[in-house]
Amino acid sequence: MDVLLNQYYLQIAIFVLLNAILGVSIYMTLSTGQLSLGNAGFMSIGAYTCAILTVKAGLPLYLAIPIGGIAASFMSIIIGFPALRLTGIYLAIATLGFGEVVRVIILNLKITNGALGISGIPTLGAKIGKVFSSLGFSQGIGGLTAQQTSNLMVLVVLILSLAFLVFFCTRLNRSRVGRAFAAIKADEAAAEAMGINTTYYKLLAFALGALIAGIAGGLSAHLTFFIGPKDFAYNRTVEILTFAVLGGSDLIIGPIVGALLLTLLPELLRSASEYRLMIYGALMVAMMAFRPQGLISEETVRFWKGKLGRRVKK
Amino acid sequence: MFWQQLVNGLTLGSTYSLVALGYTLIMGVLNIINMAHGEIFMFGAFVGLFLVTYLKVNIFVAMAGAMVACALLGILMEMIALRPLRRRAVSDLAPLISTIGVSIFLENLALKIFGPQSQAFPSGALSGVQMQLGPVQITLVQIVILVISFGLMFVLRFWLSKTRVGKAIRTTAESIETANLLGINTNKIILLTVALASALGGIAGVLVGLSINAVEPTMGLSMGLKGLAVLILGGMGNITGAMLGGLILGIAEVFTVAYGASSYRDAVAFGMIILILFIRPQGLFGSSTRQGGRF
Repeated sequence: MDVLLNQYYLQIAIFVLLNAILGVSIYMTLSTGQLSLGNAGFMSIGAYTCAILTVKAGLPLYLAIPIGGIAASFMSIIIGFPALRLTGIYLAIATLGFGEVVRVIILNLKITNGALGISGIPTLGAKIGKVFSSLGFSQGIGGLTAQQTSNLMVLVVLILSLAFLVFFCTRLNRSRVGRAFAAIKADEAAAEAMGINTTYYKLLAFALGALIAGIAGGLSAHLTFFIGPKDFAYNRTVEILTFAVLGGSDLIIGPIVGALLLTLLPELLRSASEYRLMIYGALMVAMMAFRPQGLISEETVRFWKGKLGRRVKK
Repeated sequence: MFWQQLVNGLTLGSTYSLVALGYTLIMGVLNIINMAHGEIFMFGAFVGLFLVTYLKVNIFVAMAGAMVACALLGILMEMIALRPLRRRAVSDLAPLISTIGVSIFLENLALKIFGPQSQAFPSGALSGVQMQLGPVQITLVQIVILVISFGLMFVLRFWLSKTRVGKAIRTTAESIETANLLGINTNKIILLTVALASALGGIAGVLVGLSINAVEPTMGLSMGLKGLAVLILGGMGNITGAMLGGLILGIAEVFTVAYGASSYRDAVAFGMIILILFIRPQGLFGSSTRQGGRF
């Protein structure tokens, strides 16, 4: 048990889950066929809002994190109105530019502490640990140390958030809104001709993606103890994009698998870690050339369902 | 003060224009944004630096060398990352992602080869000489930058509008299918365009490396983002737009620094984009009837 629950594995599991949430955020906007390269920007708005609220205003975490998400989503609506009237490429560049502007503003503001970033953010694990010790479990539960318990609880919180997101998205896909998203992705002009208010639905997807990215940002601020403007630069956006590119963006499971693989791979290939980004780059080119729909697409799922179904019948 | 800043802004802006022209050419012909253009620019700077420092060639020879090397790099990129996507019908976001892949690859390759520290051109490569022109002090580097970039821009304009190959490029930009029907070898034209755009990026790399006297692997990203800003500012695929947009951005940046808000310098470009998208989404010089308005 101790081998399985060491600090290192728990830390990796936490990052896998956080990245998976970020993967869902880009999936959300991609589900209308829009590519947003501003997710790192929205993430930083969420992270900073949340960190400032907890560090400077002393707000509890369960309030600060959703407020961070809402702030990011609010910004996305302001920026989305002009940008979404445009074609996919315009949106990609405009959101990329938005991310840069946010970064420069954070670098210059006093409340965000400029290039130094905000440190000493109360971590989620410590908060949960405090709750436990106040309940009288200061020695941990059932043979686990207090540290392990609180880390495990963080993991549970993240798993629950991800599970909720997946549940929400699968429900959404079967609803009126999800069908509108799919129609816009398939053919925007045709969708508009069918009477779908494309601007409204694109903005909705955009805002939902920003909301999720903002919440992920708030979570990440309280997982890593420190945030700085460099954490949310262009590289972060590209990293999030790779999750969706590798895993596939047809189904929600795609970006999650992508996040899992791309977070685990560098850990497994420690020796090749300095080539990590080069491999990412080559991977993106190769994926676009050979399998632009990503590892997991609707056909893949249908194929395996068919195969497994037949085996069950026999 | 004002005239001095204006000259500085024009010099900076003319390098932005050169970079933006590379984006514009590829945007016009292939209808994609080449996200790796900034990294090609960075490679050009390194090739120039290498030629001057180790082979001790003349700076103008180094510029030509950088152009050739970057043209080859561009051709390689077209064959590996863009051509396979053209053969099959994929969404228009695929080339964008593919070129982002190329850009990450190139940036990290450069980090591996050249190391993260910034390097400078050896002294004597044009630096140091200053002249007094009325109220304005101008360095030799600035004059070279202005002459070369404006020269290249006018040659390019003339070449596109008057020569046979230029006509073929414009036809391909209008419609690849029609150009094919008219007997134009569009694959060749596309290769030529990408090579040309990359060569422009390469020489801009050397010029910028000379003027700020620092060459580093991360210089591609910031320059690439500026070039993209100019692309939207001037209107996608519009050559006049790229030229004037670059100058406008350069002047705006220099004046932002001169009159106070120096730390917001990098936000100017994207602040302008966001403003443009609100007011005039087709760009300053784009026509509203067609998306972008080409050449």
